[in-house]
Amino acid sequence: MSDPVRLPPDLPDDRLPRVLGEALAGLYTGEPRLPARAGGRTAGLAALQAWTGQGYAGRNFLGGNVSRLSMYLRHGMLGLREVAAHARAVMRGRERDEFLRQLTWAEFYRLVLRQEGARVLGNLEDPKYPARWVGTLPDDVREARTGLPCADAWVTHLVRDGWMHNHERLWFAAYLVHWRGVDWRAGYALFREHLLDGDIANNALSWQWVASTFSNKPYFMNQENIDRYSGGRWCRTCRAECPFRASYGELETQLFGTQP
Amino acid sequence: MTAPQVRRVVWIHGDSLSVTDPALSACPDAPALFVFDRPFLQAVPVAFPRLAFMYQGVRDLAAHRAGPTEIRVGSVPDELAAFAGAHHAAELHVTRNFTPDFARIVDGLRAARPDLRIIIHEPERLTSFDGPLRRFFGFWKKVEREVLHGEPAPDFPRRGHRQERR
Repeated sequence: MSDPVRLPPDLPDDRLPRVLGEALAGLYTGEPRLPARAGGRTAGLAALQAWTGQGYAGRNFLGGNVSRLSMYLRHGMLGLREVAAHARAVMRGRERDEFLRQLTWAEFYRLVLRQEGARVLGNLEDPKYPARWVGTLPDDVREARTGLPCADAWVTHLVRDGWMHNHERLWFAAYLVHWRGVDWRAGYALFREHLLDGDIANNALSWQWVASTFSNKPYFMNQENIDRYSGGRWCRTCRAECPFRASYGELETQLFGTQP
Repeated sequence: MTAPQVRRVVWIHGDSLSVTDPALSACPDAPALFVFDRPFLQAVPVAFPRLAFMYQGVRDLAAHRAGPTEIRVGSVPDELAAFAGAHHAAELHVTRNFTPDFARIVDGLRAARPDLRIIIHEPERLTSFDGPLRRFFGFWKKVEREVLHGEPAPDFPRRGHRQERR
């Protein structure tokens, strides 16, 4: 057994990376640095109070006003009930209902984890297409040098901020599993390494939803979808040979052989 | 006169990093422990900012409660057993989470300290749904009214969910 290591519970942020880094030497990846958003219930409550939900209807756009509260919910720093109560108080109409519906995914995934236990870490169902996935994350993906500006930006964003917009998560997952033929568990492990909201339930089950091992069909997108919901962020200046530039019908045939 | 209180400690884990956590709320004055899980972190790559985020969560709850809060690095069941022993605790309180690790750690602690009573508090839920699950859409149809309005509808008994079982 190793010697016990104890940490004071009141390290200020300016000393945190050094002292915590020393205490956890050999037990983390990357450089010791503060997270892009501060942890703790006080920070979570401030983020909750500051969020009005205005413009949530545009939530699928990368520039849309999403709550960015997932990391606080994941660690119990905020509770689902108080976030729901806040939404009921400050939001109106369809935006409010849609936000509450999205929030309910977190409850759903927790309950699926309760029902399935460790089985969520393997395929819950057979994939809905003849998939032959490899288990290893390719180096060019991990190092954000695929040559695709969008895919490289998704990985860079993940590592830098420990957070991605839901649409970026879906695009990246679809790219990795369907275009690169990588087992969703390799993507799950990359997200677990970096996402401040990374947990078993949301993370594994969202990957399985994209991979079609916890859904009726695989999720995929095309270039038009990425261009639209990113506001042209990458496509406008992209010179890469785009693997996403095709109709949905053409991509279905190319990726899945037949219509899944 | 009040009866002497049972000596208690609280285990804080990564799903319970708030002073409002049910186990912490039940034992506001009891010593509490958070453990960075050394065997887990040796086996699984985790980037530093995630660990710092959790540290900040423990720091925040420590500043907002009456009882002392400790942070250690090590094997979770071993550290919990040692912590409970050092405080002569008869009870350890914790809030359940549904991860496979939770059950493993509780089993390890029971094996190490069979005399320690482990009190498991239930986590907060958004809905009262208790039936089997398959797809989100079906789940949403059952909980929609409860989520949108903040309370179970009168025609929405838990008994009804169980009848869904096929």
